[in-house]
Amino acid sequence: MSALTKRKAKKEAEATLSEVKLTRREKRERFKKRLECLTPEEQRYLKRKQFMEAVWPIFRGLIVFGLCFIILYPLIFMISTAFRPSSDMNDPTIMWIPKHLTLSNLKQVIKAMNFGKTLSNTLVLNIGCSLVQVATCAITGYGFARYQFKGKKILFFVVIMMILVPPQIILIPQYMFFRYFNPFWVYNAITGKYINLINTAVTMYLPALTANGLRAGLFIFLFRQSFRGLPKELEDAAALDGCSPFTTFVRVMVPNAGSTFLTVFLFSVVWYWNDYYVSTSFFTENETIALTLKNLSTNIKVLIFGDANAQVNTREIIVWMEAACLISITPILILYVCLQKYFTEGIARSGLTGM
Amino acid sequence: MKRLHMSYEKKKGLYGYGFIALWFVGALMFFIVPLLQSFYYSFHTVTPETGYLDIKPLMETLSDGTQKSNIFLNYKDAFMKDPSFRKYLVEALKDMALNLPVIVVFSLFVAIVINQKFRGRTFARAVFFLPVIVATGPVYAIITGDLQTGGNSEAAQFSTMFEADMVDQLLEFIGIYGFGTKFTELLTEITSDILNLVWKCGIQIIIFLSALQGIPTSAKEAAAIEGATAWEFFWKITLPYISPMILVNIVYTVIDAFTDPTNQVMERLLSVQSEWKYGYSAAMAWSYFGIILLALGIIFAIMNKLVWYDD
Repeated sequence: MSALTKRKAKKEAEATLSEVKLTRREKRERFKKRLECLTPEEQRYLKRKQFMEAVWPIFRGLIVFGLCFIILYPLIFMISTAFRPSSDMNDPTIMWIPKHLTLSNLKQVIKAMNFGKTLSNTLVLNIGCSLVQVATCAITGYGFARYQFKGKKILFFVVIMMILVPPQIILIPQYMFFRYFNPFWVYNAITGKYINLINTAVTMYLPALTANGLRAGLFIFLFRQSFRGLPKELEDAAALDGCSPFTTFVRVMVPNAGSTFLTVFLFSVVWYWNDYYVSTSFFTENETIALTLKNLSTNIKVLIFGDANAQVNTREIIVWMEAACLISITPILILYVCLQKYFTEGIARSGLTGM
Repeated sequence: MKRLHMSYEKKKGLYGYGFIALWFVGALMFFIVPLLQSFYYSFHTVTPETGYLDIKPLMETLSDGTQKSNIFLNYKDAFMKDPSFRKYLVEALKDMALNLPVIVVFSLFVAIVINQKFRGRTFARAVFFLPVIVATGPVYAIITGDLQTGGNSEAAQFSTMFEADMVDQLLEFIGIYGFGTKFTELLTEITSDILNLVWKCGIQIIIFLSALQGIPTSAKEAAAIEGATAWEFFWKITLPYISPMILVNIVYTVIDAFTDPTNQVMERLLSVQSEWKYGYSAAMAWSYFGIILLALGIIFAIMNKLVWYDD
């Protein structure tokens, strides 16, 4: 009842407003009158402002539309090619809309990639690593944000170095570490043996478990910034109530930094999803989406042309490649569309501005 | 019973160590030790044998046939003997010097545009950030490759369609030949660059956007009352307030370009690695890293004087 009356009142108010609304000519006349009582400088300023206000939105619209088109161009191209038969690629009359729509590309690619198994593999590894990594990075970030201890500056410098140093530099020592794994540095002395961890999931989980996974430096940094932004009184209150530091962290700090957790988790999932560099080095035999995409052209050649060494022009297999790209990025695109806010606002808010 | 006497500060410090202990162990295993190892490798010849890495001191063969130890031989070879390393390095630095201002200015421009209120700006923001989600993976390599084989040939078809246009005819009549092809070449170069440019700017745009939203309303109002034009507003209000973020973006862009596994120096490095010359590749990586750090240091020193902090 009250909502109805409210709506009515709003409508009436709008009606009176539109009555007050002037026609364009009247507006212009008023503006002229107003101009007459101003100095020439002020007149020029107002005129220019009016002109800009009229023209700028058109320009802005053009710019934004154009740039959006450029960004989306590969995706549009992907969708356009993924659903057309290969023969349509050589038809010069076809630019965007294929003449024959087909799903066979997708079906063949799903088979070539072994998509169901690959997807579940990737999801398990991704979500597992990301969850572990988020937890450990948060703990580390909290330690850096709120505690004073000797050597903190040097240790934080190490975190910054983790962001700066490209993984290629430390690839070989890391490989040797995993290939000749020596637990607690004494295992070899006791048994005379090493453990070979290459091609096991440990190579992904162990770094994540110790807050040293993919781009962990950046995540620690983000957590530190966001914990630093929370009021100190929260912890003091918890301490007075007899919480131990770790309970304080879990019970008080974590719920207050929820959005940072989500942001870091999302980025972690996306980067693990996209990563092929680390996994090609240590974990080649696992079938993840990024790895199968890397080796896809061979698989497609086997499946469609019957020979891995077939001399096939890139143009001929484009439709399959694009179809594969399409199904590979669809899951993260869906994630992105649903949780877009947390991707962008997370970066903006996690206090990068407070550096 | 003996009681531990510890000040509150000290106790808190211990808890701090507790919080970062896990990370520290990991960093020791996966970062610090490997980093030092690779630094050590760069001064030795390292060849993989079954079960271990064979690490020998570097021996330089002099012109008279005698051998002399020279721990900097890997570095010397990388810069003096390597057919492509120096060239790629110079190219990478040149690219960075060219791209850096373009990326920073462009992302600032985009951030200012999508910071304004207009219909569909949530959509625009989502689109501008989209490359960050896709571009780090193998998908990006495939689509840019496909666009070159698929897309550009379409552009070529396009240009043959327009080659006989009247402007060209007129120009040829006057005596200027090949204008059309040159023009389309330029056009395709620019458009391919724009694609790369826009796809590289996602994070930078977001950082600028949050900086723009951090400009206090009081400053905006003051400028409006004083009658500042948009141009003046940009130079006197926007730029000073976001200048710290310009520095952040520059650092981010440099690091992003530098750690990109598809850049030529990195590719050269990986190909050396696949030839099992670990010491040599470590020397390359470290000299590359050193040069980038130097570049960052210079940028920092210059920018720090220009950056304005609102305290």
